Amino acid sequence: MSLVQKRTELSKWYLPAIFQGLGWTFVKMVKNLANKKQMITLNYPEQKHEYSPRFKGNHVLTVKKDGSIRCTACMLCATNCPAECITIKAAEHEDPTVEKFPISYEIDMLRCVFCGFCEEACPVDAIRMGPEWQRPAVNGANFVYDLKELAYRPSLKGGIVSVVDETDRHKAGI
Amino acid sequence: MPESNNTAAPATEPKMLKMTINGKEVEVKEGTSIIEAYSQHGMSIAHYCWHPGLSVAGVCRLCMVEIEGNPRLQIACNTAVTDGMKVNNESEKVKDAVKWGLDFHLINHPLDCPICDQAGECGLQDQYMAYGKYTPEMAEKKVKKHKVVDLGPRVVLDSERCILCSRCVRFTDEVSKTNELGIFNRGDRAEIGTFEGKPLDNNYSLNTVDICPVGALTSKDFRFRQRVWFLKEHNSICTGCSTGCNTRVFYNKEGLFRIKPRYNKDINGYWMTDTGRDAYKFVNKEARLLDARVVSNGRGEWIAPKLAARKAGEALKGAGKSVALVVTGQYMNEEYEALLSYFKNEVGTDRVFHWINNPETFDSFDGLLARGDKNPNTKGLLAEMAKQGFTAQWRELAEGLQTGAIKTVVVAGPENQAVFPDLKAKIMELSKASKLVWLQAGKNDQLEALTGDVTLIPLKTYVEKTGTYVNYAGIAQKVHKGLTVVPNALSLVEVVALMKGEELPADDTYNQVGLGRVHNEFTMVRGTL
Ligand code: SF4
Ligand code: SF4
Ligand code: SF4
Ligand code: FES
Repeated sequence: MSLVQKRTELSKWYLPAIFQGLGWTFVKMVKNLANKKQMITLNYPEQKHEYSPRFKGNHVLTVKKDGSIRCTACMLCATNCPAECITIKAAEHEDPTVEKFPISYEIDMLRCVFCGFCEEACPVDAIRMGPEWQRPAVNGANFVYDLKELAYRPSLKGGIVSVVDETDRHKAGI
Repeated sequence: MPESNNTAAPATEPKMLKMTINGKEVEVKEGTSIIEAYSQHGMSIAHYCWHPGLSVAGVCRLCMVEIEGNPRLQIACNTAVTDGMKVNNESEKVKDAVKWGLDFHLINHPLDCPICDQAGECGLQDQYMAYGKYTPEMAEKKVKKHKVVDLGPRVVLDSERCILCSRCVRFTDEVSKTNELGIFNRGDRAEIGTFEGKPLDNNYSLNTVDICPVGALTSKDFRFRQRVWFLKEHNSICTGCSTGCNTRVFYNKEGLFRIKPRYNKDINGYWMTDTGRDAYKFVNKEARLLDARVVSNGRGEWIAPKLAARKAGEALKGAGKSVALVVTGQYMNEEYEALLSYFKNEVGTDRVFHWINNPETFDSFDGLLARGDKNPNTKGLLAEMAKQGFTAQWRELAEGLQTGAIKTVVVAGPENQAVFPDLKAKIMELSKASKLVWLQAGKNDQLEALTGDVTLIPLKTYVEKTGTYVNYAGIAQKVHKGLTVVPNALSLVEVVALMKGEELPADDTYNQVGLGRVHNEFTMVRGTL
């Protein structure tokens, strides 16, 4: 499909095209005012479009049943990430059954290409990509999401619980 | 190493045996085991418990080989080669045996690779990729053992990951001769452990972490700090003492993370000391002087090192005997040559003093590797001083400072400040000079707080420059530049060139550590470990 239009005698004059466009706008406006229900625009930002839960948007770090972070700081997501935008600092947990956990976990959203490879690499369902997709910010640093933001932002209502549970696995003798 | 004068050589010449390994004819010395024949001829064979630096245990049963004429498979580590022997480790029979051997090793293994530091350089992972790849058939629950056991100040044990190869036990038994480790309990409950009140606390304990083929023993210092596949390797030499152990340093763009020994039969064998493994800490940016500092009339400012070196050089030119040079044994031959000949010929002074950091323990030796002389190149310095004819004694420096005969002191200070217990006192003493030029890699609050006429110039560390070290035995070893940590830092050769007023060759000063990383490939070669 080509969007390039041939230059014709008529298209030299831009006024006809402008009136044509204004005409369309006017027709749509009258139609929309007559039937508000079929209007497809939203009053952004008060109203937001809900995407499907399968949409690969902003990352979510899941939590365990007790609300602590599920991630084990294995760095497989950081290894797999093609944009190299995940930075994890691991530390020793005081609970010996946990051993390793992320003391800091950051994703640079401006570098992320939303490919979902991190989600695929994670062995314990600790990172998912959720349906949220936009959040404005005033400078680049605000787009580096930290652990608190990724796991406990208000919209997650206390955290999403991971499907992999250690206590179940330990009971099964794995 | 000087060749020993072996007059009886013809009589003791070992007999050479012909053998066939995987269809290839080779010759080995009499008394060689099959696994040694494999490694001598660069052929791979699965193994865990055998280590070239330790005795043979024969407990892991992974080094199976098929010997022609022998109906049963044999272990290669404990079978000596006989003349005309035909061995093979590529047949289906061997592969099957290794696979089931591996299955036994994995029965109680927790498979927690995601949180295991060894992942990426692990013997279990390597052998599983080569021989395993099966679905586990064990129906029983795994035996639970102790995790995160504190064995000593530097080593942590995870008993569940241990495959009981006994390498670590043999190491403390045969090499360090400290016998801290033992195997306790029996059967599938057997565990590595230490005896009551006797932690694994010797200066060689981290070698057990290196030789542990799995992630059972981990180093507290390195634990959880990086995944190994984010690190690059560079061959270097330990500058922790005058032994000059051959090492590999592991680094990425954030700096150095750990040091491991590299085999050198003449110097360190397979091992190195725990103290030597700290020789990465003073290289990293947090510990470094990043720019030159010039203090004059009580006002200090940070300037570019090249400019500072040039300015210092202008003041030194032809200054003669009012200038004294203090050198430590921490630099390379090439640097000593440039520095000492500059002071002799251009500055015109014979007041060159050797700073000995710990005179009391300087000549001590622990019997294995560690030496009391904590400088990598004392030999090289002494040779260069003798060549230039410098014989001044430290006493003369003190006197010169007292009487005011010495006005300017130039110090090639310690690269590794931790091994200079007298550093504080020496700074106090030397700062009595009316002008002090201190060349050093690391930052030091005491130096930065000095108020007189002081110039601090940042130097490169041993991984950032190319040159030669001469160890205690006179073996000269060359190290190459591996990475740049502080782009502004200079080597002594460069400082001298700038002091003379020469331009530096437009080379790779800004050759930063490559930002690209070895991507997603487990390129760690386990090498000879
Ligand atoms: S979605 Fe892709 S680019 Fe973004 S963090 Fe995950 S792996 Fe990296
Ligand atoms: S999010 Fe998953 S893959 Fe990434 S470090 Fe945590 S546990 Fe590992
Ligand atoms: S701790 Fe490591 S070296 Fe020691 S026996 Fe176990 S597997 Fe072998
Ligand atoms: S290497 Fe031969 S039995 Fe372990």
